[in-house]
Amino acid sequence: MSDVREFLKGNEALAYGALRTGLNAYFAYPITPSSEIPETLATEFARSTFPDFRTFLQAASELEAINMVIGAAATGAKAMTATSGPGFSLKQEGLSYAAGMELPLLVVDVNRAGPGLGNLGPEQTDYFQATRGGGHGGYPTLVLAPSSVPEMASFPALGFDLAFAYRTPVILLADAFLGQLKEDLVFPDVPSPSYDVAWAATGARGEARHVLSSLHLELADQSRHSRHLLDKRTRIAQREQRAEEVGTEDAEIVFVAYGICARLARRAVRILRSRSIRAGLLRPITLAPFPERRVRQLIEQGRRKFLVVELNAGQMVDDVRLAAGGAANVELLGEMGGLLPSSLDLVRAAEAMAR
Amino acid sequence: MTAAAELYEPKLGALPTLTGTPTHYCAGCEHGTLTRLIAKAIDELGVRERTVMVSSVGCSVLAHEYLNVDAVQAPHGRAPAVMAGIKRVRPDLLTFAVQGDGDAVSIGLLELLNAANRGEPITVFLVNNAIYGMTGGQMAPTTPSGMVTTTTPAGRDPVTTGPPIDATRLVAAFESPAYVKRVFLPILPTPSPRVFNARGALEGAKAVRHAFEVQQRGGFAFVEFVSTCSVNWKLGILEAKRYAAEVLRPLFPPGLYRDRFAVEGR
Amino acid sequence: MPPDPPTAPARFHVVVDAERCKGCDMCVVVCPQRNLRLVGEFNRAGYHPVEFRFHGERGDCTGCGLCYWVCPDFAIAEVGALRP
Repeated sequence: MSDVREFLKGNEALAYGALRTGLNAYFAYPITPSSEIPETLATEFARSTFPDFRTFLQAASELEAINMVIGAAATGAKAMTATSGPGFSLKQEGLSYAAGMELPLLVVDVNRAGPGLGNLGPEQTDYFQATRGGGHGGYPTLVLAPSSVPEMASFPALGFDLAFAYRTPVILLADAFLGQLKEDLVFPDVPSPSYDVAWAATGARGEARHVLSSLHLELADQSRHSRHLLDKRTRIAQREQRAEEVGTEDAEIVFVAYGICARLARRAVRILRSRSIRAGLLRPITLAPFPERRVRQLIEQGRRKFLVVELNAGQMVDDVRLAAGGAANVELLGEMGGLLPSSLDLVRAAEAMAR
Repeated sequence: MTAAAELYEPKLGALPTLTGTPTHYCAGCEHGTLTRLIAKAIDELGVRERTVMVSSVGCSVLAHEYLNVDAVQAPHGRAPAVMAGIKRVRPDLLTFAVQGDGDAVSIGLLELLNAANRGEPITVFLVNNAIYGMTGGQMAPTTPSGMVTTTTPAGRDPVTTGPPIDATRLVAAFESPAYVKRVFLPILPTPSPRVFNARGALEGAKAVRHAFEVQQRGGFAFVEFVSTCSVNWKLGILEAKRYAAEVLRPLFPPGLYRDRFAVEGR
Repeated sequence: MPPDPPTAPARFHVVVDAERCKGCDMCVVVCPQRNLRLVGEFNRAGYHPVEFRFHGERGDCTGCGLCYWVCPDFAIAEVGALRP
C-alpha cells in the first residue's frame, strides 16, 4: 500500500497521515477550509480500515470537541481535532487547560483569513495565537508548519511523537491553501509508536492515583508548576528547533517563510539565482520553538539581509528580528485577505533589498 | 479511639474511596454529604480501580482531593464533554462529575444537553444550590425569582433575567437519557423546630448507586441534588434548610423523571 | 460536659472525629434519640464540635446511621454495633 502514489488534498493527506500513525480518537466540528479532515476520518471510521482508530465523533461545538480530545488524551489515547481560524480561537481555552495538565494531543489549524469570520482564503494570521499560546496563563507551545501535501501527511506522526515526548499539546499550523491544495504523494511506512502513558488517568490501583489537574491553589505549588512548564519550554527550545534551508550557504539575501509562502520563496530563489542574485530560503518547520539558533548562525556566517514573507501584517518577522538582535536587515513582505503574493512579487522585493 | 469504641464493630465507617482530606466546604454544605454518598457507592460497586472522575469548576473544583480516584480537570462547564472523550476511548471505565448549577446549567448547558441527547454513558451529579457559591454568591440560572444575590441586590427579576431553569426537566425532555432523577438532599424540617429528617441523604445514596449502575449498562444518568448555600444565602444553616424546603422544593420537585432500565424498585 | 458514662453497654456507638467537625448541627437535629449535641469547647479549627452520648434524651442509639449519612465532613467517622 505504501508504494502506491496517491493524489490527495492536503486535508485528506493529513487525515490519512494521522490514521497511519495510529490515531485513536478524532473529535470533529466542521469549519471550512478544514472540513475534509473530519469527512475523510468519518469515512474511514465507518469502513473500520484502521484498527487503532476507536472513535470518531462529531461534537456540538468547537469547545465540546477540544474537551473531548482532553478527555481521551487523559486516558493516554492519541487524540486530535482540527479547525480553522474562528474555531481555533475557541480551542484556546482547552489548549490552556491541556498544557496546564500536561496532556499530549494534536490540534490542527487550517488558517483562513480573518479577523472575525473573514473569508475562506489562506492567511497566516494565527501565528501569534499558536506560537505565543492564545489561551490564558503561561505555558509552552509546540507548533509545526507543514509546507506541502506530503508534509501534511507526515507531520501528524511527528506531532504525536513530540506531544507524548514532552506531554504537551502540539499545534499543526497549516493554511487554507495547503488544506485545499492537491499533490501526489507516497505515504511513508511509519510505525504506530506506542508511548509511555504511565501518567494517564485510567483508574487508581492501590495507593497510586493520577490526578490530572491544572489547579494549584497554594501559590508556592503554582509557582513550582509554572517553573516546571518553563523548564519544559526551555528544553523544547534547546532540542526541537527545526528548519529546512535552500541555498543559505552563500546567500546575499535569505527568504524566511513557512507553509505556502515557503513554496513561493523556493521558486523565487531559483528565479533570483538565474538573475545572478544569490538568494536562499530558511523555512521554519517548527514555528515554536522558532529556529532562532539558525538565524543567529546565518548572521555569524555573514548573511545580513532577511526578507520575511508571510500572510499577515508581520508576525513571524518579530521572531526573526528578535533572533537577529539588530545585527541584520530584516524586512517584511506581507499579504492578507486570502490573497497570495506571486513569486515575482518576492523576486522584485528581494531585488530591491539586494541593491 | 476510645476504649468504648473497641467494644463495637464498625457498621458504617471509613471508606477506601475517601482520601480523608478535610473538605473546604462550608459548614452544613450538601457538597460534603454527596461526597460520602459517592464514595460509598463506588466502594459498594467495587469500581474504584476503573473510575476516572472529572472535576468541574465551582465549589466542586476540589472534589478530587476528597475522592480517592483518578481524576481529570475540566474547564468551566465542560465536564460532560471531557467525560464523553474518556468513555469513547475507554468504555470500560466509570466516569462521573459533580457539577454546580452555574457550571452545568449556565456556562456548560450546551455540553450537558448534547451529552444527554447523545446518551453518553456518563454520570452527571448536579448540585443545585441556586447560587454561584465559589465566586461569592452571584445569581445562578437556578436562582429563584426574588432571591437577593450580589448581582441581583433587589432580588432576581424574572422579567429581565428570566425565570429559574429546571435542569432536570430539560434533560428529561430528550429521549436518550436513561436515568433522570431529582433528590432534595438537605435535611428536611418537621413541624418541630429542632427535628429534621434525613430522607434526602438516604434517597441520595440510592440515586448515586443507581446512576452508576445505569452507566454500567451504557446509559446516560443525571441526578440533580437540590441543595443549600447558607453562607451565600446569608442564612443560618438550619434556616437555609427551611428556606430550601419552602422555596426550592416546590420549584424543583424531587422525583424520578426517567428510569429506562428500571433500576429503581429492583 | 463529658459524655455520660455508659451504665450498661449500649448496643450501638458513634465515633466522632471532633477535629473534622464544623459544628453544623445537622446530625444533632436528625438524631431520632437525641444522642448527639454540640459541646461548648472549640476544636482546633474553631468550631464547637459534636459529641456522642450513649444514652440520649429519647433512649440509646439505635445505630440508624442518619448522622453518618448527613454529615458533610466525615466527622461522624463510624457507627458501630456492640460486638457479640
